[in-house]
Amino acid sequence: MRVIGHVAVNVFKESVRDRVLYNLVAFAALLIGASYLIGQLTAGQDVKIIKDLGLAAIATFGLLIAVFIGIGLVWNEVERRSIYSLLSKPIRRYEFILGKYAGLALTLLVNVAIMTAAFYAVLAYLATQFPGSGAVDPGLLRAVALIVLELLLVTAIALFFSTFSSPFLSAALTFGLWVIGHFNADLRNFEAVVQSPAAARLARGLYYVLPNFAAFDIKTQAVQALPVPGSYLVATALYGVVYIALLLAGAVMVFARRDFK
Amino acid sequence: MDAIRTEGLTKHYRVGFWRPRPYVALEGLTLEVRQGEVFGFLGPNGAGKTTTLKLLMQLIYPTSGHAEILGRPVGDAAVRRRVGYLPENPSFYDYLTAEELLEYVGALFGYGPSARRARAARLLDEVGIGAERRLHLRKFSKGMLQRVGIAQALVNDPEVIVFDEPMSGLDPLGRREIRELVLRLRDRGCTVFFSSHVLADAEALCSRVAIVAGGRLAAVGQLADLVAFQVRGWELVVAGLGPEAVERAKGAGLVMRATAVGDGRYALELPLSVAPERALAELTTGGARLVSLNPLRETLEDFFVRQVGAAPRDRGLD
Amino acid sequence: MKGALILVVLLAGVVGLQAVHERGGGRPAAREESLLYVRSPEAAARLALSYRSLLADLYWIRAVQYYGGTRLSTDPDRQYALLYPLLDLTTSLEPRFNVAYYYGSTFLAEAPPGGPGRPDLAIALLQKGLRAQPGRWEFAQWIGFVHYWWRQDYEQAAAWFGRAAQFPNAPIWMAPLAATTLAEGGRRDSSRLLWQQVADTAEDEGFRNEARRRLLQLDAMDQIDRLQQIVNGYRQQRGVLPADWDELRRAGSLQGTPVDPTGVPYRLQAEGVTLGPGSRLFPLPAERARVR
Repeated sequence: MRVIGHVAVNVFKESVRDRVLYNLVAFAALLIGASYLIGQLTAGQDVKIIKDLGLAAIATFGLLIAVFIGIGLVWNEVERRSIYSLLSKPIRRYEFILGKYAGLALTLLVNVAIMTAAFYAVLAYLATQFPGSGAVDPGLLRAVALIVLELLLVTAIALFFSTFSSPFLSAALTFGLWVIGHFNADLRNFEAVVQSPAAARLARGLYYVLPNFAAFDIKTQAVQALPVPGSYLVATALYGVVYIALLLAGAVMVFARRDFK
Repeated sequence: MDAIRTEGLTKHYRVGFWRPRPYVALEGLTLEVRQGEVFGFLGPNGAGKTTTLKLLMQLIYPTSGHAEILGRPVGDAAVRRRVGYLPENPSFYDYLTAEELLEYVGALFGYGPSARRARAARLLDEVGIGAERRLHLRKFSKGMLQRVGIAQALVNDPEVIVFDEPMSGLDPLGRREIRELVLRLRDRGCTVFFSSHVLADAEALCSRVAIVAGGRLAAVGQLADLVAFQVRGWELVVAGLGPEAVERAKGAGLVMRATAVGDGRYALELPLSVAPERALAELTTGGARLVSLNPLRETLEDFFVRQVGAAPRDRGLD
Repeated sequence: MKGALILVVLLAGVVGLQAVHERGGGRPAAREESLLYVRSPEAAARLALSYRSLLADLYWIRAVQYYGGTRLSTDPDRQYALLYPLLDLTTSLEPRFNVAYYYGSTFLAEAPPGGPGRPDLAIALLQKGLRAQPGRWEFAQWIGFVHYWWRQDYEQAAAWFGRAAQFPNAPIWMAPLAATTLAEGGRRDSSRLLWQQVADTAEDEGFRNEARRRLLQLDAMDQIDRLQQIVNGYRQQRGVLPADWDELRRAGSLQGTPVDPTGVPYRLQAEGVTLGPGSRLFPLPAERARVR
């Protein structure tokens, strides 16, 4: 546990120094710029659009960080040979993997926390411009919570691929899974589209196996202040946690068997 | 109990993506390194040195055979606390400073914050990293990284130290410093097991050496027994000699090869059959002045070729 | 030194060519906004991945810009052909984008040249909203509204207001509104009642403003009727039309120059009294005989 913590802090330190947090500047600029522009462009819906944009931006910036750092987490250490000296220390291979994961998770959490704070600051400003619009709605945090979970799942996928494949391929596979994960409902209903029962069964199988990213997306519901049952949140969180555990277990197993030629 | 012991250690890789063929990186290595010795693991590039060291660190798993450090199998976590390892051409984290890297390593060994700071400072002094220790490692030269790599291998005061090409990337001054460091470590009672393809390093440091080539152990023993007598001639540098005199000496069989080195100087290679005193006497009567005289040792490569003979080029198993 | 010279020469070249480009009048003119790349709402929804709401926002902004831009354009043949597809995409991507239904139907119903004059599409859009959220009485009310205001079909309007009144959470004034519409549809009093309800109850500031404008229009229509009576009386007395409001004032029929509720003077013409130029109440709604 202690060793995992040290590895994680090291990942966090390195990503911060690698200017990963610069995305926050882009995020703030985007949100503030958009708040200014949208008032000129549209009638009445400024607050809704800023909420949509803010949540989508948090999810997107987080996704880019999760993928582009995640794919290099293990691969770079092997490629740059820093792993050689590290693994000769009293650190087990699974501790290395879990530490790397925890480090990126920490980076993402800090990032999302700052983005969310900036988001609420912009909303608080909008609330002064549009009184009674309910701009500062704590219900949006439900969407942020599921975004965090989604990012942790994406990180686990990227890390898993990173244990055996090149960054380019890992990025393609991770993004691919993320996109497919939003078409999940279509896989479920595939038999309505195709004639072949075999293809329909395959699609149904994929529906159960592939990560269902669509489930983590409650941005629209949060912005519209619609009720989201607590049971849904719990079930989705549980799904995410189990899926992450599966991927990390897979990554640990692949990594434990690897030869570092 | 030996510091390091291997028995029939073997590693085969599969190379090629479409039609993987086995490749013998190391075949049946059996070796003992005693505690407290400085042991050189020598061989040309691609001989299997790094493979062996990685097997000892369990960075790769053996196809067959067995390796022990301090009487425990290499996978044992407890044994890692007593071992230090410098990989070949080490590289670390771009955005950490040398200090932070050593503190990180100290943390992995479980030292508290003040203990790891003290160790980091002492080791960086020991390997000669000065104010640069506060710079990010991406700004470090190859030689400085090598020194940092040596320092990080010593954080835990290891009993057994495994260095992969410790002199590579260092300038002559650096090489001398590292030699002195290895001797200091030996004096503290550490076992040092290092690989090199440079014979001079081994000559200066080792009590015993092993020589590998083509993935197989070729020889083990005291270096003096293996190579010290293998002088294959002399190199004589003289000044004030005309080209005709050189040709004459060649014709008389005194000189095998002559190379003009400018300023009327010649580097002359004498065969082993000619006593250098005799050649010198002949040449000085022709007006030559002696600049230097050195024995021509055979290089490690020459030695490998002789020891291994026609080392098997094809290392496939088929 | 040589390198710097090369850079200066190349930079001068870029600047010069850009100047030539500018003199040429820029890019060849293209018909603006004439393309909608994705027309199928289903395809757009798929491609949106987790950005459906944001894409809906973009289409909504585009719809508003398109409507406003077309309205302001000087092209006499201006069409609002993309308005409905844009609104359809917006509401397909986000079926609960209520403002898009309300404003969108207002845009669609607006008579030319201020809008496409398509109350049928406005009703289609609102019905789509009602299908997406069958519990919202506001959609039924707005459908009745479009029938009332833009089609002057008071029976249909009354029927939709009646339907709206059936919703469990409908306001209590909905049932009387249905009854009044059926009995007195087309009269200004019933229109005033309708708009007054909107002005008092609409959630959206924009709608409340629009309702207030409509109420001012109704006031202006009353004023125009009274002014027309005064003008007609003058004409009967003197046999000629007054040249301007001053004549009527000197005749003692008026206190001063009459202005509409927004402060713009009315215009006196041979055809009758109309809103003055630049009044934001223009155009006044058409009033037709009650449809049977």
